[in-house]
Amino acid sequence: MKRLLVLAVAMLALGLLLAGCGGEEKKADQVLKIGTMSPLTGPYAADGNDIRQGAEIAVEVFNEAGGIPGFSKIEIVSEDTACDPKQAVAAANKLINEKVAAVVGAYCSSSTIPASETLAEENIIMLTPASTNPKVTERGLPYMFRTCGRDDHQAPAAVKFMQSVEGVKSIFIVDDKTTYSQGLAEGVAAAATAAGINVLEHDHVNQGDKDYSAVLTKVKAANPDLFYISLQNSATGALMVIQAKRMGITAILMGQDAVYHPKLIEIAKADSEGMYCTFGAIDKDAPKFKEFQSKYKALTGNEPGAYSAYSFDSATAYLMAVKAAGTTDPAKVREELLKLDFTGASKQINYQENGDSGSNYTVYKVQDGKFMPYWNSLTGEKY
Amino acid sequence: MDFFLQQLINGITLGGVYALIALGYTMVYGIIQLINFAHGEFFAAGGYMGVILISYLSSQGLHPYACLAISLVLSMGYCALLAMAVEQLAYKPLRQASRLAALLSALGMSIFLQNGLMLTQGVYDRAYPTEITSGGFAIGAISISYMQILIVAVTAFLLVGLNLLVFRTRIGRAMRATAQDKVMSALVGINSNRIIALTFAVGAGLAAAAGIMVGLYYGSVNYTMGFVPGIKAFAAAVLGGIGNITGALVGGLIIGMVEIFAAGYISGEYKDVFAFIILIGVLYFKPTGIMGENVDDTRV
Repeated sequence: MKRLLVLAVAMLALGLLLAGCGGEEKKADQVLKIGTMSPLTGPYAADGNDIRQGAEIAVEVFNEAGGIPGFSKIEIVSEDTACDPKQAVAAANKLINEKVAAVVGAYCSSSTIPASETLAEENIIMLTPASTNPKVTERGLPYMFRTCGRDDHQAPAAVKFMQSVEGVKSIFIVDDKTTYSQGLAEGVAAAATAAGINVLEHDHVNQGDKDYSAVLTKVKAANPDLFYISLQNSATGALMVIQAKRMGITAILMGQDAVYHPKLIEIAKADSEGMYCTFGAIDKDAPKFKEFQSKYKALTGNEPGAYSAYSFDSATAYLMAVKAAGTTDPAKVREELLKLDFTGASKQINYQENGDSGSNYTVYKVQDGKFMPYWNSLTGEKY
Repeated sequence: MDFFLQQLINGITLGGVYALIALGYTMVYGIIQLINFAHGEFFAAGGYMGVILISYLSSQGLHPYACLAISLVLSMGYCALLAMAVEQLAYKPLRQASRLAALLSALGMSIFLQNGLMLTQGVYDRAYPTEITSGGFAIGAISISYMQILIVAVTAFLLVGLNLLVFRTRIGRAMRATAQDKVMSALVGINSNRIIALTFAVGAGLAAAAGIMVGLYYGSVNYTMGFVPGIKAFAAAVLGGIGNITGALVGGLIIGMVEIFAAGYISGEYKDVFAFIILIGVLYFKPTGIMGENVDDTRV
């Protein structure tokens, strides 16, 4: 008797479930859900929250303009990856369950790569605003797009700058062993060697370290022309800059795109003055950026972070493609995405067949407490 | 030679910080045989309290060193109260339970406090004002910052104070008695609950001081900052002989030095490996730790 009862309840539950599924098939007032995944907690939370907010602004803009025909509403579903591959895959599965149409993210390349494999099984489009490892778009995944640049363009750009502008003859490189930071540091070492620059040493620190005195003492003893800092995080970058200055290191300091963040200057203050960082060129005087900036400030109370504009453009590109295709069918949206050529807040967005959108690395210099564009890698000229 | 001396100075500074945190582990273990994994979070909470107070006080135009002194005292007091509350809430009800239960409670408390910091203070790093921290001098090629001197001085001052408290006062005698035998000391009129709470308070106060020093030295604090130094300081306490105050100092200095020299002479990525190899080696050949005696008469 009891068994029968359990069976009956189970059947009933199953029936309801099926009915629920049937109900959702109806097209009438469909909600368009876009997932974001980025590290919302942990050491990379600063960049991760910027990414979430950037996508939210894009949705806000579309909703204000009346949304997309055929959809009652556009919504953001955010998941935390904590820059951990396992958690990134879990986040991807959660977003699949939430029935998102596309995903903006992730931040760390080591999270983006496994998450994109999971999303690819469900044919969900992923647009990364921040993962620069070449492998992201080199695995032949049809629905993987990248709005930022690539490390194998960033490393040569940095080396070209060192040699042609600063006349650097020797460098000391430090990374923190993440897929991203170490990959980039190795790229810089290889490009520097090829260019005839003497790589004095390529040392590593651990993620989460606060004390860099030991490795900095080595830098001081080696006395390089330039000290290249490849860390995954702007806050630890700031710590390294402060400690380097305190140690009396006089070498030119140079960082990359993960170190590039207003937080670096906020923490390192005067110690960061004169430091260089490579980052994709964003024209902060362009009307498109100004518009984005004022919306961002109004909604979040903050200045846009390093990757906010890329995230905004990724979500915008997707929404534009959906609007043009009139459906969220991934194959049709992909076609529309490849046709896009528009001025975003970060740069001219024009996705290529492999999903990349081109790199435009610029060297920024910290001047009077601000990152100022200093040298353009495409033209090889100073601003 | 310059390189060696510079690394030695770096090692002493880092070791001093570890020693200050390790003292809290050692004292709490000495008195109730509990490894208080939430101790690293008192360190982080102290660092945050420090940045809030120093920012506020220096905006009021106070002299930087006055700001530092006031903030140091207030943060230590705050963390002492926090530790007493944690003890009441998470450890006291479990005092008769198995040691594993208290250990799990400590781990839970650590996660709770860390998330509490994240939710109240935000996920971003908070920067310390730099007026106090900048500056230093050089002897030949060796540079010493004022901050390094300050860390060593504060560590030494607090250590002397702690030694006086434990070995020269009635409270200290009560602590040592409770550590030896809770039941017997209660029979002769010592309020062991009060003494245990006091031990937590003193340990957390020292961790808070370390938190401010680290925040000033490195320029910023983060809600995750307690975890790694907490583990290192725990290793330092075990290395020195857990339950032994001098042991915590020696252990802290050794871990700091080993880390710095491994990073300096081998590579930065191996420094943690070497710190823990030393720990395992000591435990293998002298399981009670360097200064440890027989486990039965653990001292506070």
